[in-house]
Amino acid sequence: MTSNTIAQNGKATTVKTTFSRETSVGIEIKADAAIVWALLTNASDYPRWNSTVISIEGDITSGGQIKLKSTLDAKRTFKLRIKEFDPERKMVWGDGQGNRVYTLTDLGNGVLSFSMQEKIGGLMFPLYAKYIPPFDQSFEQFAADLKREAEIIASTKN
Amino acid sequence: MSTEQFNQEFGAIRGQLKSYILRITASVADTEDLVQDTYLKCVEKLDSFRGESSLKTWIFTIAFNLAKDNLRAKKRWAENVTDICKEAAMSNQAFFQEAMHIRMTSPQGHFEIREHIAFCFTCISKSLPLEQQICLLLKEVYEFKVHEIAQIIANTEAIVKYYLHTGRSKMVHIFEGRCALIKKEGICHQCSELNGIFNPKQKLQVELMKIEMAKEAENADKEHLFDLRMQIVQGIDPFGSNAAALQLHHLEHNRMVMENI
Repeated sequence: MTSNTIAQNGKATTVKTTFSRETSVGIEIKADAAIVWALLTNASDYPRWNSTVISIEGDITSGGQIKLKSTLDAKRTFKLRIKEFDPERKMVWGDGQGNRVYTLTDLGNGVLSFSMQEKIGGLMFPLYAKYIPPFDQSFEQFAADLKREAEIIASTKN
Repeated sequence: MSTEQFNQEFGAIRGQLKSYILRITASVADTEDLVQDTYLKCVEKLDSFRGESSLKTWIFTIAFNLAKDNLRAKKRWAENVTDICKEAAMSNQAFFQEAMHIRMTSPQGHFEIREHIAFCFTCISKSLPLEQQICLLLKEVYEFKVHEIAQIIANTEAIVKYYLHTGRSKMVHIFEGRCALIKKEGICHQCSELNGIFNPKQKLQVELMKIEMAKEAENADKEHLFDLRMQIVQGIDPFGSNAAALQLHHLEHNRMVMENI
């Protein structure tokens, strides 16, 4: 599944195979890409607007490393590397088990398409798959929180 | 524009520029230097002013460019700056002796809760990232438009909106958790405590009822209370008020404490 084919309805979908699982969500946001990008790359600010994130430490920048605590598994700290960083277009962070891809596409008329995909997998995936909670609800919440926050900022009085 | 015309215009803006620089540097000496440097730079570049923005925006842009490198090199302050500095003041007898001397002898040595609210905002806003603090001040205190702020900090309007929103949200959150004037559970009573020290004959409740933000605290929402706080800051000239000498002395103390941590 590519970012272009992800439905922009805020509903997450998950595709499972024996050796992988891929969850995606897409949503339209009425805001400048710079605002969405700023929200996605300001690590310490995440808990203020994103109800799925407990904390992010580190710098979300090209080649940076972060420590993420998510409500998906509050006891775990995910150590992730920023693998791709194309401002206002695409960002990939991940570890050895999988990657999360954020994509922004300008749809014109002040509307932006935001999509987020995460694929986890590998040869050992069938052994630990049952211990990984489903991402769907968390992804939908992430997208909804991002849309809400970005649109509030975009509507700031001039 | 002739230098004479400019001098007249600069004179009218000077007070606002000076208070703005004080609020971002927290240093009287740096403020005096930067106001002077801004004036000189403006005169030097006066021929390049084409009226594409207001003169005030142009002057603030030059002031920001002169101040930013110095400010970026300095550490931001902690959210609980007032707790840290209170502890330092408690163990510094000279500080209280000086403050009491100013209170007794200076025509600008009055203590007013309203002034301390503005002082407190200056200190806590230094916990924001620099760009957020500057955008917040320019919009909420000095009434610049978003496009003018974008010009001053040389960024896009979208990013100015982001800085404004995040800066404001953080400040609302901090005051909600700290300020006992707006929330009973607030952990900071410093303005009331100091009022008791400097104005022992005043009745605190009577004084608080003169402050709209404190009066409306129980019924108004946090955003409105923050707007009222901004109105207080807007209405105070930190160099010209009856409490200026006392508050500037206090600010200098806090700056030295925070820069030496």
